[in-house]
Amino acid sequence: MKILVPVKQVEILDEDFDVQDDGRSIDPDCIEFELNEWDDYSWETALQLMEKHEGTVEAVPMTVGDESADDGLRKCLAKGGERAIRVWDDSVAGSDPIAIARLIAAAAKKEDAQLVLAGTQSTDQAHGQTGIAVAALLGWPHVAVVSALDYSAADGKLTVRRELEGGVEEEIEVALPAVLTIQLGINEPRYASLRGIKQAKTKTVDLLSPADLGVSTDQLGETGSAARVRRMYIPERSKAELITGTPPEQVKRLIEIVNELKGA
Amino acid sequence: MMIDGNHNPEDVTRVLFESFPGWAVGVFYVVGFGAIAVFLYGCFVQYRKYARGQSLRKVLPPLKDRLLQMVVSVGTHRTLRRRDRSAGYAHALIFFGFALLFIGTATITLEYDILAPLIGLKFWHGNFYLLFSLALDLAGLWLVAGLVYMMARRGWLKPPKLNYARPDRAADAPDANRSFYQFEDWAFLCLLIIIGITGFVLEGARLLWLQNTPTVWDYRWWSPVGAVVANALSLVGFTPEGAGSLRISIWWFHAIISLTFIALIPYSKAKHIFTAMSSLALRDPLPVQKLPPVDMSADTVGASKITDFNWKQLLNFDACTKCGRCHEACPANASGAPLSPRDLILTLRELAENTLEGIRQPEPEKLIAQGNGVFQVPTETLWACRTCAACVEICPVGIEHVPVIVEMRRALVEQGDMDPLVQKALQNIQKRGNSFGETKKKRPAWTKKLDFEIKDARTEAVDVLWFVGDFASFDPRYQRVSMDFARILKAANIDFGILYEDESNSGNDVRRVGEEGLYQHLAESNIALLNDCDFKRVVTTDPHSFNTIKNEYPEFGGNYDVEHASAFLARLLDEERIPLKKGLDGRRVTFHDPCHLGRYNKGYDGPRDAIRKLGADLVEMKRCRDNSFCCGAGGGRIWTPDPVGKEKPSENRVREAATIEGLETIVVSCPKCMNMLEDARKTTNNEDNFEIREVVELIAECLDDSAISVVAQEHVAEPA
Ligand code: SF4
Ligand code: SF4
Repeated sequence: MKILVPVKQVEILDEDFDVQDDGRSIDPDCIEFELNEWDDYSWETALQLMEKHEGTVEAVPMTVGDESADDGLRKCLAKGGERAIRVWDDSVAGSDPIAIARLIAAAAKKEDAQLVLAGTQSTDQAHGQTGIAVAALLGWPHVAVVSALDYSAADGKLTVRRELEGGVEEEIEVALPAVLTIQLGINEPRYASLRGIKQAKTKTVDLLSPADLGVSTDQLGETGSAARVRRMYIPERSKAELITGTPPEQVKRLIEIVNELKGA
Repeated sequence: MMIDGNHNPEDVTRVLFESFPGWAVGVFYVVGFGAIAVFLYGCFVQYRKYARGQSLRKVLPPLKDRLLQMVVSVGTHRTLRRRDRSAGYAHALIFFGFALLFIGTATITLEYDILAPLIGLKFWHGNFYLLFSLALDLAGLWLVAGLVYMMARRGWLKPPKLNYARPDRAADAPDANRSFYQFEDWAFLCLLIIIGITGFVLEGARLLWLQNTPTVWDYRWWSPVGAVVANALSLVGFTPEGAGSLRISIWWFHAIISLTFIALIPYSKAKHIFTAMSSLALRDPLPVQKLPPVDMSADTVGASKITDFNWKQLLNFDACTKCGRCHEACPANASGAPLSPRDLILTLRELAENTLEGIRQPEPEKLIAQGNGVFQVPTETLWACRTCAACVEICPVGIEHVPVIVEMRRALVEQGDMDPLVQKALQNIQKRGNSFGETKKKRPAWTKKLDFEIKDARTEAVDVLWFVGDFASFDPRYQRVSMDFARILKAANIDFGILYEDESNSGNDVRRVGEEGLYQHLAESNIALLNDCDFKRVVTTDPHSFNTIKNEYPEFGGNYDVEHASAFLARLLDEERIPLKKGLDGRRVTFHDPCHLGRYNKGYDGPRDAIRKLGADLVEMKRCRDNSFCCGAGGGRIWTPDPVGKEKPSENRVREAATIEGLETIVVSCPKCMNMLEDARKTTNNEDNFEIREVVELIAECLDDSAISVVAQEHVAEPA
């Protein structure tokens, strides 16, 4: 069985950051990238399956992004796996989650994967759509927000668990092929040592273009996306204030605030 | 004149096989050679076991220095007397008694079996014999006396460290119980004492038997214990003939049991005679200060199998005498963590015994050293260590536990198996060069609160390059110490600078966690930076950075003159370069030695000199200097909280300090100790009783003659 694990390099903002002049994105100088937290868990899930069913399960991480996204794939490969896939060309820029999902679904077909393990959501955009859209595009069953998983190689079935409101758990049996989105806490992701990350540089990352996957450019980028970011802005700060100082100073400030609110 | 004129001095000697029929002598030799063969085979098995380990990657000092150091340690028994004087002296009695008896027996063999038959040389008679006889008698007495004390210690005194209770196993684990070692201990003591006592009985019986031989009887008091036994035998009714037949049976008993002992040496606790001495002779002067290098291009890193340890470590495992000194000193063990350095060593010894002593090595899975099975070390045990080196410091036989633990951690790091919080800290360091996960820009933010600017050592030449370190840069409490240190240096007109944003975590703790790749990256980037700067010496308030820059950076091409702030400040105080306006007026303080400054680098006196110079009344805690009790922060443990519900090492320490009557201040000299002890002061409800202050802060306080301390002023001046 082959498992495809789509991962994403997410944006981490500096404490002080600026919105770009176009009003639709953040100044890249204020951004650092790191692997999406959920993807640490989905990749760990795939690795554990691969280790448990040694020789019969193969896990391949993939990402959609420019070459800076290779870092995320290296981090995955540092922990295990032999090869990764990165999909990119300029037409992909500006894609919404559904457009991205088209590329992932196409990759899953090309790779002949039977299982796609995506993170439930990304820490930066938090749409929570990509994984589910992949399932829809492939016409595969999907289970979202999975908190435990068991695979039986004999009957090719997955048993997964989900946590519901009020402490109830649900157990679902899914036939393959399928798409799961993985929740935080499903396992304890391992650490990628710096030596491992350096050694992962010798592993292959296949660079594919949308054309290689048979996805046409009009289904990608802003043209191929139904959703478009119109504006990005910092909302006005709320009025909360931390009152500090000696107790008499604090009382003084408190009275000032009360008076201000009273309009005095 | 020892020999009186009535006999030929040649005649005063001891009979060996007198009255033995030829076949009996023959039997004795057969048994003797058999015992020696068993002994030699056992030695070979041990040798083969050690040879299955890796070669040494670290260069040790020249052999002659190490041998000298070993001879001095054994000769003076200095390592054995530490923190357990009576056991040390009793061991000295046994050791020297045994050694003399061994040399004595060897001398007899030399004359009787080698020199006499070959070249006809005989020296074992006359005055030499008499002195020899006296010396051996006393040696036997020492031996028995030492053994009696050891038996009393085990039987009546029962120090808890000898009950072999294991903190690293659940009560129902199949190997939870190590009390079988007590059986071995008793068997060892009993065997030795039986050898000693039968020796004396034999001697007494022989004397009585030869009562009518003046060259024997007239000189019996040269064997005082034997003579007393002879008299006693005669008192209880033994005739010379009776003593003669008693002699024959005791002779055989004594001979067989002694030969059995010799044969068993390599198979039992007795092997520590050899392994302990070898272990002492293989001592590394910087076992924890400078961790063993790693071949980063090898297929695997660290030790996950027993054969990943080097031969010296395998020998170390066999040297442990289970004395429990490390067990008692270990802060992890004291705070209920599943780690005892002794049990760790014994587990690895047992694994090696069970896998590497056979003709063939078992399959690789059987060699795995890390795990939850029998003869395996659990992960939690490895992560519980604070690399405080208390175990290495006190081990009387020179076992180096910390490199063993770090090698095993290296393998865990390679497998990615570690606490999520440690992972987080390491990822922060990977990404941002500090464990706090702050941006590089924020590293020098604390300097903005000073009313002067610190020189930028990256662009300007300075005398003193101050390596600030993570905690001193980012920990809010310790930032105040950093500011005070800056003020003192300025007041003393020191030309100093810092590395601002470009400094990275020094890597000391990263290396001790076992993340060698990251450590090397940090060391290399700091070294590249430092090598581009112009300075005379590096000074730091952080003992962890101090240790790695001083002891480990040279391996990566960073050779600097490094000084810890406490020693540097003590020197400035001594030279009266710091303009003090007042003293501390007999303030009652105690000093907590940081492991990385004290035990690691023998920096015991710098902080104490400074404290005394300021006029404080320094009262020592019971555990101080080399026996200081770790605050619990070392070895990466600063990044993981200690389990709730158990006394933390820092709380244990603060409670110890709290027993000092009228204590006003616990003085520390390390950012991590500060962090841990401040916390423990609160959790032990000592907030109103005393404060935790840095040596630096005490000095800064005396820069100012106002009644209120600098720290207190700052509190008022900075409400935000
Ligand atoms: S270094 Fe310290 S914490 Fe670690 S085993 Fe030794 S004594 Fe215990
Ligand atoms: S390791 Fe050393 S200190 Fe610890 S029990 Fe063994 S001999 Fe004693």
